[in-house]
Amino acid sequence: MSSTQARCLILACGNTMRSDDGVGLWLAEWAERRFKDQPGVRVLADHQWTPELAEDVACAESVLFIDCSLATAPGSVHLSSVEPAAAGQGINTHHQNASELLALARDLYHSQPQSAQLLTIGAGSIELGEGFSEAGTAALPRAYKLIEETVLSFCVLKKN
Amino acid sequence: MTQTITIDPVTRLEGHGKITIMLDSQGQVEDAHFHVTQVRGFERFSEGRPFYEMPSLMARICGICPVSHLLASAKACEAIMAVRIPHTAAQLRRMLNMAQMVQSHALSFFHLSSPDLLLGMESDPAQRHIFGVAAARPDLGLAGIGLRRFGQHIIELLGTKRIHTGWVVPGGVTEPLTPAHRDEILAMLPDAYANVKLALTAYKQIADSFKQEIDVFANFPTNYLGLINEDESIEFTDGALRLIDPTGAIIEDGISAHHFTEVIGEADENFSYTKFVYYKPLGYPAGSYRVGPLARLNIVKSMGTPLADAELALFKQLSAGPVESSFHYHHARLVEALYGIENIERILADPLILDKHVRATAGVNRLDGAGQIEAPRGTLNHHYKVDENGKITWANLVVATGHNNNAMNRGVLQSARAYVKDGKFTPGALNRVEAVIRTFDPCLSCSTHAFGQMPLVMSLVNPDGEVVDQLIR
Repeated sequence: MSSTQARCLILACGNTMRSDDGVGLWLAEWAERRFKDQPGVRVLADHQWTPELAEDVACAESVLFIDCSLATAPGSVHLSSVEPAAAGQGINTHHQNASELLALARDLYHSQPQSAQLLTIGAGSIELGEGFSEAGTAALPRAYKLIEETVLSFCVLKKN
Repeated sequence: MTQTITIDPVTRLEGHGKITIMLDSQGQVEDAHFHVTQVRGFERFSEGRPFYEMPSLMARICGICPVSHLLASAKACEAIMAVRIPHTAAQLRRMLNMAQMVQSHALSFFHLSSPDLLLGMESDPAQRHIFGVAAARPDLGLAGIGLRRFGQHIIELLGTKRIHTGWVVPGGVTEPLTPAHRDEILAMLPDAYANVKLALTAYKQIADSFKQEIDVFANFPTNYLGLINEDESIEFTDGALRLIDPTGAIIEDGISAHHFTEVIGEADENFSYTKFVYYKPLGYPAGSYRVGPLARLNIVKSMGTPLADAELALFKQLSAGPVESSFHYHHARLVEALYGIENIERILADPLILDKHVRATAGVNRLDGAGQIEAPRGTLNHHYKVDENGKITWANLVVATGHNNNAMNRGVLQSARAYVKDGKFTPGALNRVEAVIRTFDPCLSCSTHAFGQMPLVMSLVNPDGEVVDQLIR
């Protein structure tokens, strides 16, 4: 594998031109600044999660996925563990969700992060626009706090 | 009573489409259409914008082939500026285009089509995806990801972003290549060669088991169009277009980007928002043709690199004349990927590749400009008109999926007639009808310059126009 090893990989996705859909990228930028002096923290942000990222996931000791969610209440912030997708589950070909990336890392690279968490922010709006909705903006402080706590906890984990 | 089958959405495509199969009163396939249901828009959005914004605006058409639109757009702008870009900038753009082609072909072959090829057209749809490939052939799963990363990482090294880089600008590129990035790309080459060779070997081992599909996957005579160099070798970024007929005879050679706009027309059909592109002197639909990997390999005499030339020789053995079945797009795609890696290595050996003079500047010197390149899936032409202040007054894009539209529709009809019998179809049969479209690797977002996404479906329609069955995934 050629990907950079990371103690904690932060993997965010979104579209900065679709209002709250861009919150993942915003939080990734914040995390990059916040942890710039923290060794072992690597931040990757893109429009969507593609299969190639499975290699980066496989190389990480822990992963924090960050995305907006249409399935949760606007402005709600959730942090939950992610498990690899079950075999046979229908998947997309251009982009993967967090569970699918973990499964690809497991199946192709025989490697799994020791811990994987998904942070979601409920979207108040995904209409065209570069700003966040009121709900999305209100969610940011709690998202910062959870990212900070999660990353710092990851940094003390030891790879099995 | 006649019936119609609708496949909606057609899966594993760049974008979304819909297939409708119309049955006659005996339940036999009477006609079939491949619809692109997205709405055009980018050409109108661009009106009033300064011409120099066009490359970065046009790149937003697509997340798969933004590099192609960047390059074609920049070339159209340079025609307006009447400038010749520096040698090193031209070489770096060629390398960018090769990287884009390699990563796009890897996506098409490994992610979109290898589930059909490796697991079988009749295999369980729940397993017919990259997970299934990873389980059946983990070496190929890794090769696919490796080849995609190779192309994407070069794009990222050159342009700082994998998608929607702003590095290509009218007049050249914004930054020269650094020695560190050159060395990083060189270090990736051995793995890239190994990955594409593995794919070629695997493909040749399984291709013979798809004889029936080869026979009916858009297997008919057509014309073919693509860029070519003066020495008749393949070209993706410069050169001029050659159009050949079904026997391989040249219909027209040396078609420049501007001349393209005079000899190529766009017809409309009422079932699709994508244009049906044709060669005007032959009229529509007689002037229809195919573009992309199959067409490019059919029009050239050589690839211009040793390993790809050896593979081209094997490819040409498939037929005495032009290779007709669109199933062979898969094979052609891998030959081109190999060529792309060789070409990147050759470009990096250019003694001027680290030169810092990479941009020419000029204002508006012409009010009309066109640029053309080969995108991974075929010829791409951007044509702009501007006012004296450089504001866009008119724009037209002719994309690969439009060139291939007639052949894709004929291919869907041919395969539907082979696999849909007596008004009955199986999931495997419908997958084959979809797989015909996948061989062309169409980009539906590009073809309509769509904003956003729309779903696509397969429908079975009776003679009264009633939808009697529908497959929606």
